[in-house]
Amino acid sequence: MSFTRTMVHDLRTRLAGADPLPPPPPVPEIPFPPARVFPSPKRRTPFAAEAARHTTALVGIGHVGTRYATDVVLQFQAELAVAHGAVYTALPEDWAAKQGLLPLQSRVTDHREFLLRPDLGRRLDAASVARLRENARRGVDIQPILADGLSAVACMGSGMALLDHFVKACEALGFSVGTPVCARFARVWLEDEIGEVVGAKVSAILLGERPGLGTGDGLSAYLVYDPKIGKTDGDRNMMSNIHARGAPPEQAGKRLAALAGAMLTQRTSGVPLDLAPIRSDLGDAVVGGYPAPTPRVRLVSVGTAGETK
Amino acid sequence: MNLSATIRGVVYRFGSVKEVLAKANSPKSGDDLAGVSAREPVERVAARAVLSEITLAELRQHPVVPYELDELTRMVEDTLDQAAFDAVKHLSVGQFREWLLDTRTTGPTMRAIAPGLTPEMAAATCKLMSNMDLMVVGAKAQVVVRANNTLGLPGRLSSRLQPNHPTDDVEGILYSAREGLSYGCGDAVIGVNPATDTPESTAQILRHLNDLCVRNAIPTQCCVLSHVTVQMKALDLGCPMDLMFQSLSGSEKGNRAFGISVALIDEAYDKMRRLTSNRGPNVMYFETGQGSALSSDAHHGADQVTLEARCYGFARRYKPFLVNTVVGFIGPEYLEDGPQITRAGLEDHFMGKLLGLPMGCDACFTYHARMSQDELETLKVLLGAAGCTYLMSLPVGDDIMLNYQSTSFHDIPSVRGLLGKRPAPEFDAWLTERGILDGCKPGERFGDPTVLR
Repeated sequence: MSFTRTMVHDLRTRLAGADPLPPPPPVPEIPFPPARVFPSPKRRTPFAAEAARHTTALVGIGHVGTRYATDVVLQFQAELAVAHGAVYTALPEDWAAKQGLLPLQSRVTDHREFLLRPDLGRRLDAASVARLRENARRGVDIQPILADGLSAVACMGSGMALLDHFVKACEALGFSVGTPVCARFARVWLEDEIGEVVGAKVSAILLGERPGLGTGDGLSAYLVYDPKIGKTDGDRNMMSNIHARGAPPEQAGKRLAALAGAMLTQRTSGVPLDLAPIRSDLGDAVVGGYPAPTPRVRLVSVGTAGETK
Repeated sequence: MNLSATIRGVVYRFGSVKEVLAKANSPKSGDDLAGVSAREPVERVAARAVLSEITLAELRQHPVVPYELDELTRMVEDTLDQAAFDAVKHLSVGQFREWLLDTRTTGPTMRAIAPGLTPEMAAATCKLMSNMDLMVVGAKAQVVVRANNTLGLPGRLSSRLQPNHPTDDVEGILYSAREGLSYGCGDAVIGVNPATDTPESTAQILRHLNDLCVRNAIPTQCCVLSHVTVQMKALDLGCPMDLMFQSLSGSEKGNRAFGISVALIDEAYDKMRRLTSNRGPNVMYFETGQGSALSSDAHHGADQVTLEARCYGFARRYKPFLVNTVVGFIGPEYLEDGPQITRAGLEDHFMGKLLGLPMGCDACFTYHARMSQDELETLKVLLGAAGCTYLMSLPVGDDIMLNYQSTSFHDIPSVRGLLGKRPAPEFDAWLTERGILDGCKPGERFGDPTVLR
């Protein structure tokens, strides 16, 4: 036998002859693992309970080996699915008309293009420009715009409520309000062109915000004074986190009307706008900041407690 | 210099080195948005063929942003190490790729030539490499840095602990930090993105983080990632600061949009070296990410991989302790889906390491990008195998302030376990002493945040 063949033969023998694996151990008894449940207030550790008073981060959740317990996996997957569901739902073409709003569309033609071409989402298509010229009231103080943004789910959820409260609050303050419009495949800056076409003093777009885990229903609002194409982020003021658990639509509508009022009084918006005179009207609204912590709720339960889909 | 190639009888002509670099790039939605990408797959290969024969000397003569227009180009050109450049300048990009892949080319050799490479050379080579090429060379690179502990040693994988909170609630930040430490995370840095960008708030968070480290004798670094000018003012308030942070862009115009310049970062670096609480010698922390230049219309018609490499050319001037790309944060208009985000993570790690940086990666996605959690978990293992210096770590990978999905506290010990990697040695010893680790395995107190006071 050659040297190599001898070596290979010896190796096989040393690796336990015919079968390289020893027989498995006897079948063990496998007890139920301890319950690891999220986020049951009864069962969580004192650390998790204390932490929950200060943060909505998922801490004190324990581990299985180095991984998550099954319950944590399901909660996480449900939160992720809610966010993805919100992003990938398109606003139906006839939704605006059904709400009695003037329907507009950006230059975007499908949902993938909407995500990939923010530049097209900032401009109206030709038909929308014509429709706006023909049907919308001109020269108003405030032009309200409802839009899908990154969550059509949020737009269809509390969009109409926010729009109604905002319009009423503006009218209560004595401002003239433009024809309510609803824009599809819209980015924030679309408010510039819409406001410019109708010659509004302030343009206000209310749109679905980029979903976070478990939260696809939040709306944001961006307001700009003297809207025209070419305005930048520094020219705008924004309010985020508009939903039942954050700023509810009624409260947000009033705050946004106060913000628009400040713009009309000071004839500016964005960085130069002095918010001090309306501080009490704004309450704890985060203008230009991050969303307030959203309490986590348990999303998954096995059984038939909810509505059937 | 030949700028045309023929494939199946079709001649592809390119107008400039910049165009060749852009069209040779792997598909990226950001390059489509910028209008600089190849029109079809065969044209992409033709561009790569042309690029493979361009020499490194020619690349030095053709930076993607002209010397006269851009201070980053000038800084790189004026400070390039001539001896290191002379050693490789005759190689074409294709030959340089082969030299890097050759097993006789070791980490120390790569370190020797790094100061002679321009960012465009690193980017060009990247475009001729597959994902596994990028990993093989990345894993060979050797970049070791030291602050309060030592990062980048062979067989080590570190993590930034990122206990962000949307209202800067210090107690909330500390609960997340303690949880993360109990999973063996945080050896690169405990780094907080603040919601409020003021010197007082920055100083306050830093004091609390520093107290946590002192109270528990943790050998690591703390950082609050506010704007560099805010951190400089916080230093004047006399707070402890182990690392000074700033986001970088790949052109002078892009950096202007970030409110920074070479002169400003020079000043910050000088101040930090005098006033830092860290034992050194490395005191800076930078973040980058493909697409940031285009987002401020500062890309000068160049592709996002080349511009990303130029961030590293900027960063290396300051011998940073940490540099990481935040690879999926910018959104699908720049990196559309899982394959693009994965590719970008491996590219950035390779380019950063090649240019001599202790490259880490925030492997992440926003919820409007088409990347699944499974793809994201896969990317972390790929980065670990490629020798990535550090990943991020958050509770369940969920940033409750910035609303995106990154690496979790549980992922770090999992990737370490899969790849047989350990934390930074000083931190490793501390974890073992606290019972959090038991050799390579989770210890008795693993995942028990009450082990920390």
